[in-house]
Amino acid sequence: MQRLHLIEKLRVPLMLAPSLLILTLLFVGGLVVGLGQSLGYMPVIGLNNFTLRHYVDVLTDNNFLQSLWVTFRIAFFSTLFSTVLAVAFALILRETFVGSQLSTFMFQVPLPIPHLVAANGIVLLVTQSGLIARLLATVGLLNSPSDFPVLVFDRAGIAIILTYLWKEVPFIGLVVLAVLKSVGPEFEELARTLGAGRWQRFWFVLMPLILPGIVSTSIIVFAFIFASYEIPLLLGVRFPTTLPVWAFNNYRDPDLNLRPEAMAVSIILTVISIILLVAYRRLARYAVTA
Amino acid sequence: MNKSWRWLAVIIIIVAVLAPLIPQLIWSFTFRWYFPSLLPGVWGTQAWEYVFSKSSRVGEGLINSLNLALVTSLFSIAVGLPAARALALYEFRGKSLVEWLLMVPIIVPGIVVIMGIHILFIRYRLTGTFLGVMLIHLIPCIPYMILVMSGVFANYGTALEDTARTLGASSLQTFWYVTLPGILPGLLVATMFTFLISWSQYVTTFLIGGGRIITLPLVLFPFIGGANHAAAAAISLVFVAPALAVLIFISRSLATESSIMGGFGRL
Amino acid sequence: MKSATKFHRMAIVMLVGLTLLAACAAPTPQTVVVTQIVAGTPVQVEVTREVSVTAAPQPTAVSETPPVYTSWDEVLAAARGTTVYWHMWGGSDTINGNVDSDIGGPMRDLYGITLIRVPLNDTADAVNKVLDEKAAGVETGGSIDMIWINGENFKTLKTAGLVYGPFTDLLPNSKYVNWDDPAMAFDFGFPVEGYESPWGHAQFVMEYDTAQVGDTPPTTFEALQEWIHANPDKFTYPAVPDFTGSVFIRHLFIWAAGGPDPFLGDFDQATFDKYAPKVWTYLNDIEPDLWRGGQTYPEAAAMTDLLANKETAFNMGYGPAGASLNIAKGIYPETIRTFVFDTGTLANNNYVAIPFNANNPAGAMVVANYMISPQFQLTMADPNRWGWLITADPRLWGQHDQDVLASYELGVATLSADVLAAHALPEPNGAWVTAMEEGWIKNVLEK
Repeated sequence: MQRLHLIEKLRVPLMLAPSLLILTLLFVGGLVVGLGQSLGYMPVIGLNNFTLRHYVDVLTDNNFLQSLWVTFRIAFFSTLFSTVLAVAFALILRETFVGSQLSTFMFQVPLPIPHLVAANGIVLLVTQSGLIARLLATVGLLNSPSDFPVLVFDRAGIAIILTYLWKEVPFIGLVVLAVLKSVGPEFEELARTLGAGRWQRFWFVLMPLILPGIVSTSIIVFAFIFASYEIPLLLGVRFPTTLPVWAFNNYRDPDLNLRPEAMAVSIILTVISIILLVAYRRLARYAVTA
Repeated sequence: MNKSWRWLAVIIIIVAVLAPLIPQLIWSFTFRWYFPSLLPGVWGTQAWEYVFSKSSRVGEGLINSLNLALVTSLFSIAVGLPAARALALYEFRGKSLVEWLLMVPIIVPGIVVIMGIHILFIRYRLTGTFLGVMLIHLIPCIPYMILVMSGVFANYGTALEDTARTLGASSLQTFWYVTLPGILPGLLVATMFTFLISWSQYVTTFLIGGGRIITLPLVLFPFIGGANHAAAAAISLVFVAPALAVLIFISRSLATESSIMGGFGRL
Repeated sequence: MKSATKFHRMAIVMLVGLTLLAACAAPTPQTVVVTQIVAGTPVQVEVTREVSVTAAPQPTAVSETPPVYTSWDEVLAAARGTTVYWHMWGGSDTINGNVDSDIGGPMRDLYGITLIRVPLNDTADAVNKVLDEKAAGVETGGSIDMIWINGENFKTLKTAGLVYGPFTDLLPNSKYVNWDDPAMAFDFGFPVEGYESPWGHAQFVMEYDTAQVGDTPPTTFEALQEWIHANPDKFTYPAVPDFTGSVFIRHLFIWAAGGPDPFLGDFDQATFDKYAPKVWTYLNDIEPDLWRGGQTYPEAAAMTDLLANKETAFNMGYGPAGASLNIAKGIYPETIRTFVFDTGTLANNNYVAIPFNANNPAGAMVVANYMISPQFQLTMADPNRWGWLITADPRLWGQHDQDVLASYELGVATLSADVLAAHALPEPNGAWVTAMEEGWIKNVLEK
């Protein structure tokens, strides 16, 4: 009896232990080592003294604010547009109509497709000699590739944002769709009988229901884009680069003395990301209660 | 009014989804194709011959990617399922701390973690090994498994299991005949997520795999933005095919089982 | 209530313990050895590409020293049936395929050696990896057996004492290489000293579209400048640190200085400052009329595409036969031709080096030896196969091999070896290259 009691007591810790063990060892371990290196502690190359110099170097770099702005702008607009489009499509797809099944399936297609493939497709589509430019040239709207707007390797990062839109709209959309379907039409019916208009029903009935889903998914999407390296590297301008590209390029440099700076850049990136997300969540909570 | 809106939406969805896929399909069968021709001047299968040749390493990358994604997913299930259940069905002290710890890899940018852990992996000779790459893929996979499955468990509850147990079923029987069928659609979706997360990893595999473990993203990456669009497109399509197959398999659960994707709302 | 607090405490203790464990994993006993070897002090933080692991590896214990071979037979015996991991740039499907069939194939048939290409985006990644392994105390059994390398990357590794060798004297086919030629014995002005073995030779050429430029391309930088202003949006070059972008800028320095001589010796800031302003002025002057108004600079690989679609009228690169091959592959239209500047174009060699901790140096040596054999050099020179320039001196070959080489016909867009040789310039010393690249980023890109 005593033994059974013990097993009962240990049940939850035992269930959690494997996940906690792996994630703590790998994630927290990596974070601590990275933090150490950013503070100039890297005994393997003879750096033994803690210093804030690398943070000062990064923060006083003329290009830092520019890079931060590029990183933020891409993540912000990708997230904002994805969310708006996702909600719009979810509102349409929640109803059953001819072709709704096909549309729902098509809507899901980008979800499993890797970002690299999406990026490759966007490049072939929207470069100055891409498929859209060829289409316009065929119908006589375009004479040479240089008449087509610059959408890849551009300062605004249009191709990067398009790639993320293509990937993230279905992700957010499906979460919103799931919530909408679980709610059912009852609330709206009730609101309608009480005389609420279309817009009012959306804003005061549906919005509070789907807001937690929107907040969560947009946090995931923003955090992912804010820290991702491959797409801005492949489709972005060489200067100014995003912070993850800056960090990773420094990390890959054969000069190991650039490592602490790479780590400092990514720690700063992490801190900014967390601050933004906490603020956003606060704001969203405030909006729900208000 | 409503109807035309719907049709517009359907057309936008279909066109927008197919738009980046169609040029890749055409390019993969192209030999010569210059601006402003709408279709290739000379078609050809050179790109596919390259993909199927040994020197492209696409076959090897495909097998490695599949193996990694499957093993990482199975490991995520084994480790994440109990944790998801504990978080969904039990109240305990320090729960929010544990929840935060398990979810933090989704929110906190992984770049610093990967770069930090790299040197440790080199020292313990985990770089260039299957085990090392799988371990690094687990960092983003386990949290997603827990996130989705805790939503599923919370929705599923314990009532049916309690009934089974009072009727005399053993723990194993209860799990196999009652719990598993109930959570299976959700489990499939969660597995799809872990599979695809592992399947799409580039930076992690690049650093930890060190070129010894070649996966499809590593094969594709040098071709994107390069001159050989045909090869890039053909490799891309190989990269898409298994992912789409997975989607067809679970598409229905994704759209109809509200509790599954709803799990993301619990973050 | 009491037990719950206990659990809480236990959980926290466990987490703190795990965190500490992970943190402490960094300094293991091996660190002691490493820090002794590493004389690196954090002085050079501002200097990119400066070597941080400065001292040569000391043979500490028997198990920590790389295998040493005294005869070719020993090497062959150790290499037979092994696997060689060759880290090399992997962005060209042609080179990938050629390496597998023309080097990997013979290695398997002749020696039972499995040659595995490890594709890189940038050779610096391989250099970085060797440095990382050194830092982490991996003294033997490293993951890289051989690297396709030259210039700054080789200098970084060799200065840090992280290359295996000298080994070229052991290779029987080394007799076909004219090591008395400074162009072979020095890699970007840095002495090879037997630590790397050559395979291909490269010379910079400009590619242009006769349909857009006409039959007389601008072969001086003054004429090019005029052409660019007269035809905005049709010219560009890759951003450094891209290899090709970097070499374009080197040509401008040589043009500004009236010849390559000032840059062959050690780096000298005064000389650099003397010529640099002219180069930056030139580049900033053409910038508004470059492709995309100079807003951004493409990848070297994307330049090919731009020329193919007539978005630009020029491309450039280290492969004199590249344009002909691209026409044959359908990537280029048939109107593309090549030219060299009247002031000459830079030439250098591709080498292979073996890292100090290579798991299989014997296998790597056998591969390196094959790559300078007349048989492979002929395959490489074949315009229908590789179309590369060779590093061997054909005068040291047998008559039959010389005849085969003479019988090759040039590709449609390829300049003759005589024209190329007459315009070949020696590469500047590596320190100059670094200064030019950094200068470009500060004075052109970030302007």
